[in-house]
Amino acid sequence: MTDLTRLELLRRAALGGAALSIPGFLAACGGDDGETAGTTTGESAALASTLRFSNWQLYIDRDAKKKSPSLEQFTAKSGVKVNYVEDVNDNATYFGKIQGPLSQGRGIDRDIIVMTDNSRFPGLLVSKKWVEPLDKERMPNISNLIDAQMSPPFDPDRTYSVPWLSGITGLATNVKASGGRIVTTMQQLLEDPKLKGKVTLLTEVADTMSPIMLENGDDPSKVTDESWNKAYDRIQKAVDAGQIRRFTGNDYVADLERGNIAAALSWSGDVATGLAANKALRWNLPEQGSDIWTDNMFIPLDGSVPTASEYMNFYLDPKVAAMVAVGTGYISPVKGVKDEAVKLDPESANNPLIFPDDEILSNVVQFDSAALNNQTYIEQWQQLLGA
Amino acid sequence: MTLIHRHRWLAPLFLLAPGLAWLAIFFLVPLGFLAYQSLQSGTFEQGYTFTWQFSNYKDAITGYDEQLVRSFVYAGIATVATLLISYPLVYWIAFHGGRWKNMLLLLIVAPFFVTYLIRTLAWQNILADQGPVVGFLRDIHVLSADGRLLATTFAVVSGITYNFLPFMALPLYVSLEQIDARLLEAAQDLYASKTKAFLRVTLPLSAPGIVAGTLLTFIPAAGDFINAQLLGTPKQYMIGNVIQSKFLELIDYPAAAALSFVLMALIMVALLVYARVVGTEKLTG
Amino acid sequence: MTTAAEALPARPRPSIAARVWAFVRRHALAAYSVLALTYLMLPIAVVILFSFNDPSTQFNYTWQAFTFDNWVNWDSVPGIRDAVILSLEIALISTVAATVLGTLVALALVRHRFRARGPTNLLVFLPMATPEIVLGASLLTLFLQMRFATGFTTIFIAHVMFIISYVVVTVKARLVGFDRHLEEAAMDLGANEWTTFRKVTLPLIAPAILSAALLGFAISIDDFVITYFNAGSETTFPLFVWGAARVAVPPQVNVVASAIFVVALAAMAANILYQTRRSRQAKGTT
Repeated sequence: MTDLTRLELLRRAALGGAALSIPGFLAACGGDDGETAGTTTGESAALASTLRFSNWQLYIDRDAKKKSPSLEQFTAKSGVKVNYVEDVNDNATYFGKIQGPLSQGRGIDRDIIVMTDNSRFPGLLVSKKWVEPLDKERMPNISNLIDAQMSPPFDPDRTYSVPWLSGITGLATNVKASGGRIVTTMQQLLEDPKLKGKVTLLTEVADTMSPIMLENGDDPSKVTDESWNKAYDRIQKAVDAGQIRRFTGNDYVADLERGNIAAALSWSGDVATGLAANKALRWNLPEQGSDIWTDNMFIPLDGSVPTASEYMNFYLDPKVAAMVAVGTGYISPVKGVKDEAVKLDPESANNPLIFPDDEILSNVVQFDSAALNNQTYIEQWQQLLGA
Repeated sequence: MTLIHRHRWLAPLFLLAPGLAWLAIFFLVPLGFLAYQSLQSGTFEQGYTFTWQFSNYKDAITGYDEQLVRSFVYAGIATVATLLISYPLVYWIAFHGGRWKNMLLLLIVAPFFVTYLIRTLAWQNILADQGPVVGFLRDIHVLSADGRLLATTFAVVSGITYNFLPFMALPLYVSLEQIDARLLEAAQDLYASKTKAFLRVTLPLSAPGIVAGTLLTFIPAAGDFINAQLLGTPKQYMIGNVIQSKFLELIDYPAAAALSFVLMALIMVALLVYARVVGTEKLTG
Repeated sequence: MTTAAEALPARPRPSIAARVWAFVRRHALAAYSVLALTYLMLPIAVVILFSFNDPSTQFNYTWQAFTFDNWVNWDSVPGIRDAVILSLEIALISTVAATVLGTLVALALVRHRFRARGPTNLLVFLPMATPEIVLGASLLTLFLQMRFATGFTTIFIAHVMFIISYVVVTVKARLVGFDRHLEEAAMDLGANEWTTFRKVTLPLIAPAILSAALLGFAISIDDFVITYFNAGSETTFPLFVWGAARVAVPPQVNVVASAIFVVALAAMAANILYQTRRSRQAKGTT
């Protein structure tokens, strides 16, 4: 008896020791039942059958048949189907849609949603506890995040979110519609009479205010009433003069392609994917700089934490992140993506929009998050937008 | 059945109850809640409390007087435009349509069967800066070389006109169709010229149709926001755009509710003025 | 008699200009009408045309090439199939519900005298006189205050609410011209009220009910504003279009819109032909 028990003990110790000596293996499994990665039976017991994912338009890799290779890979690996819905058009509108059920403690039929950090909504989601904490045990790849993304102000410990993609706001020009001139400064955009009525700005406060403030010589990361009003007045003047055709979300791309507008304040990736098709489009950073922002994935109330965390972990693998970055033209928050991107598409690896060099990075700032929550500014901005 | 026989007054009650209950609960009560909300104050972050905040109404009117006036002007112009465009068309169908009357009428209503948004987007396409229509107008110098049709007041009002044309055309048709052609013959027998016959006989007899059409067109047009959003700039935004943004984006319910009631009140005022001018019997028919 | 005829002066032949002018005047109205109808049909033609377009980019606004692919793969755009199915489901059940409720109300209003007739008329008329944005926003307020989740049920409730008024108006218009004598005759012949209703009244007002139902269905499928406020996270077809319009409307949207258009047009045309035939039969003429 005692021999057996001693044998059993030894055997268990050996197993335990073996398990302890391959911590990486266990860490990669996720979950404390010690399941190994790659097997679907034990793990899937905790995962839902479908991942419901809400994202912005043009924000994932797509092949010629409009399917997403990275999502298909995820399904093949985890057995979880992905219901990918592109219903986020604008932070304010999306938040307005979901805050109803969330404020009543109910879910919104989604496991992952994506919102931008230069709007006040990530902060609101966290402070109101409308998002679930991530299952970090399933997410060892979180250590793949670049340092700059490890600790955002609205979620300092990355308890509730991981980044999706980052982007830069810049100036896009349709040279056919602009009569050959390329727009490189905000002053041109706001005041060049030849562009009158053929210019658009963005509805996102941070994206429009940042480059203007920078041109004014102010710092968008520390907004004061004075710097706000100075930039605001410039925009108001341009609107009154009929210079600005409208304020847009993603929808400037169609007008730009069509030639309805000659120049637009725009997002780096949209033009990166559009440039290839339309030879008349140019994109560049405003001379005095602009803002950089990051979209983040959250798990809303009642979303399936294990499934969402599983997907986020999958995404944070440099191979997958590279697929998405190259496919969308945006900046990846994951380390080692450039090397993987070279394997996928050597040309993209040299694209400064996806892999900005230090010169670009030194010329972009993050907008003051406190200013985003300032009620006066919010109301003033809505007045400007005409509503 | 004998129950009904004995209590005749119960019959209408059974018939009316479900429908009216639905309307009462889902139309009247919400309006009540809206009124309640319009007197609240607070912000989204802090929450709203009921404080008899009548200043919401004052703020609504002073802050958005531009959009309010604009909405009524646009709706007015569009209503007149739909009347002018559809009257001859409908007249022709009613008096010269013959066997094809109903089919032709169907053609007028047909645009209705394509989703409102898509109809408006189609106009966005047709009136595009680099499109054939603008190109043609530039060639014949109606538009300057830099001129455009989209993102202008013209585009927005045209959009409203197009989208609400069936609302004017149908009631017009109904009243024109009911006019006995013999009355016109009689007028001509009495030596009236065609024009005079029209002005003295047809037009007045079609008045109920004009009234109904005006109401059915003006009221929804005043509250529209889609045409302004898709075909215009913030300088063309109507009160509907403001209400929509306050409800769904800014999440400022008290202001949005107050604005909604201001809009309804103004429409009621316009209705009353119109009724006074035109005569109340023609309104509720 | 011939002398009198010879004595009449010959009528002067009208000049060419006068004849042309007369021709124009005679057909001016027709010409105008053709122009007006063309104006009405133009955007629809564009929509249908571009459903056959094969765009090289994601944008569908310049003509590239003709293809049937969009029609075959109409549901290759993610989300469009669910949106269309949801729209059809909602339209179907809310039309049925609203038609039943509305017909009952119309019957009551026309057939019975009761004191609250005026206010009832008003209550029915008011939703049609209220801007859609107020209808949608106030309903949303109700649901928020009652902490009722927005979604399928709320869309259904909203649609029934605004369709009832249209049904009442449509059915009422037909009922007013209804000949009561037929019913009285049936009852004189021994039928009780229910049988009379079933065998005499209902068949005769069926066309009106059908028209009202078709109208209600069309309004429901098309509704954007009220649904926009009350859909929660559900997406009907118009809501889907709104979302797609922010970036690029895929040709499949045109396909669905064209399909709905053709089906609706055919249904209405069939309804008209059927009604015309019935009225001809009723009149006893060919």
